[in-house]
Amino acid sequence: MLPAYVLVAPAILASLVFLYIPMIFSGYWSFTKYNGLAPAEWVGLANYTELFRDPEFIKALWNTVLFVLFGMGIGPLLGLFTALLLNQKVRFRAFFRTAYFLPVMTSLVVVATIWKILLNEHGIINQILGVFGVPALGWLGSTTAALPAVAVTSIWQGFGFETVVFLAALQAIPRDYYDAAKVDGATYRQQLRHVTLPGLRPTIMFVYIIGIIGSFQVFDQIFVMTNGGPINSTRTIVFDLYDRFYSLQLGEASAVAYVLLVILATLSFIQIRLFEGTR
Amino acid sequence: MTARVIDRAAELEQIRARQRRHPGHPLRRAFLYFVLAATSIVMIGPFYWALATSFKPAGDVFASPPKWLPNPWILENYKDVFTLFHFQRYFVNSVIVTGSIVALNIVFDTAAAYAFAKLRFPGRNFLFFMLLITLMVPFQVNLIPLFRIMVLLHKITPHLGVDTYSGMIMPGMIQVFGIFLMRQFLTSIPDEVLESARVDGASEFKILRSIVFPIAAPGMATLAIFTFLGAWNDFLWPLIVISSDDMYTMPVGLALLQTKNMMNWGNTMAGTCVTAAPMILVFLALQRRFIEGLTAGAVKG
Repeated sequence: MLPAYVLVAPAILASLVFLYIPMIFSGYWSFTKYNGLAPAEWVGLANYTELFRDPEFIKALWNTVLFVLFGMGIGPLLGLFTALLLNQKVRFRAFFRTAYFLPVMTSLVVVATIWKILLNEHGIINQILGVFGVPALGWLGSTTAALPAVAVTSIWQGFGFETVVFLAALQAIPRDYYDAAKVDGATYRQQLRHVTLPGLRPTIMFVYIIGIIGSFQVFDQIFVMTNGGPINSTRTIVFDLYDRFYSLQLGEASAVAYVLLVILATLSFIQIRLFEGTR
Repeated sequence: MTARVIDRAAELEQIRARQRRHPGHPLRRAFLYFVLAATSIVMIGPFYWALATSFKPAGDVFASPPKWLPNPWILENYKDVFTLFHFQRYFVNSVIVTGSIVALNIVFDTAAAYAFAKLRFPGRNFLFFMLLITLMVPFQVNLIPLFRIMVLLHKITPHLGVDTYSGMIMPGMIQVFGIFLMRQFLTSIPDEVLESARVDGASEFKILRSIVFPIAAPGMATLAIFTFLGAWNDFLWPLIVISSDDMYTMPVGLALLQTKNMMNWGNTMAGTCVTAAPMILVFLALQRRFIEGLTAGAVKG
């Protein structure tokens, strides 16, 4: 019995000190005015009511939701499409898979920096679009284009993960199902609808839930590409938290953290429910 | 009945043979390869552009029409990255921090996972549940208190906490998801093997070393890969806990280079390439393991 406790002790201690205690303090501070220097002063729900009246925070919430919708509307579909392409008899499949997967391995800071130069007003994307007569645009300096530009960067960075997950799931669908469908004269489209998609259901759900939870936490790209601007048009929840932390509004920042926690815990809860449903 | 099955088998054989002879309409094949090639250019092009730009003098970065190849080639940008900025130092920092986090996770996650998978002790299910529940809590929720803890530690002893390696490493020393994943791997070890070792008088630690670790090796490789990825690419935590330039990891160094050095794209792209290179090289060398490891992590999760 003793060895068991010795084996779990590091994990339990670390989770207490680095997960549970911080979580409790974060919750406590969200009900206080606190700047890290003077002692925290209890204010009840004031931080939360102020947050939901603060246009900057509302903007951050809204931008995050738009970012999630944009990314999740395109990313997984692109992943599924490329996985279906690669699930055929294709030469150089390993090469194409590597091409899609490379950005997934790369630091978001690197990816964001590269896209910053591509999206520059004088950058290569504008030069290529210029060939087709599209006027140059300073994507990241525009209040309407900046958020979609950051979202496109994030989709480019991340969809290869979905490609690889879908490809693995596609290859796990028994060939007999397709053979049976072919014998019955099913077309490619019918096979897709009645064999492939049902076989992918758990994977599709997994990809969306993981993707949504990850997208809600978007920060690195924002920090590098736009720093929340222009005029808060790319301010997101975590960027808002970071900004309040740096202006020493630790009480308000903790309240932001707890709003994020409630959103993501709800999503995790839905995930568990959905997965129970499929098993 | 049997005749029908044989009929179907024959029919199937015909279909398969037909497909072997005609793997799809030639136009369809051409279209498939066109799409694959186009998307690959979109995926690899940006990396190429960063590399090409890193060798260009400042005046050529946004040249119109674009210079697809650097002409003239210069190495000044790389010289700057290693003299004006200290990417060699950031690299060493990243290696120390990531290496420590990977090593700690392999030892601690596996040890805890083994206890949860194969040992019986009071409170086992409760403790495991308490760990699992933290998977719902995003890291950002703990950010501010963690920072305060690191400030406090630093006051007690200047070798710990903010602006030190320990400050970057400690919060990553275990991962609940890692414990969960390793537990999935370890439950596959038959209890009888462990029992007979115990009957032979082996200690729990001996069993861990000579039976569990060898069987758990593939799982540990998976754990090492996704811990490595997460730690190497981590940005928000090191950004917050580190304040002096000679402690930056590579992503932090690259991000903050841009705030100091707004307009020098040549330098920035050289820094980008230097930051991207280690991970890309490791990935290309261990590609299959990476992809298998990450999809295993995904599927088991």
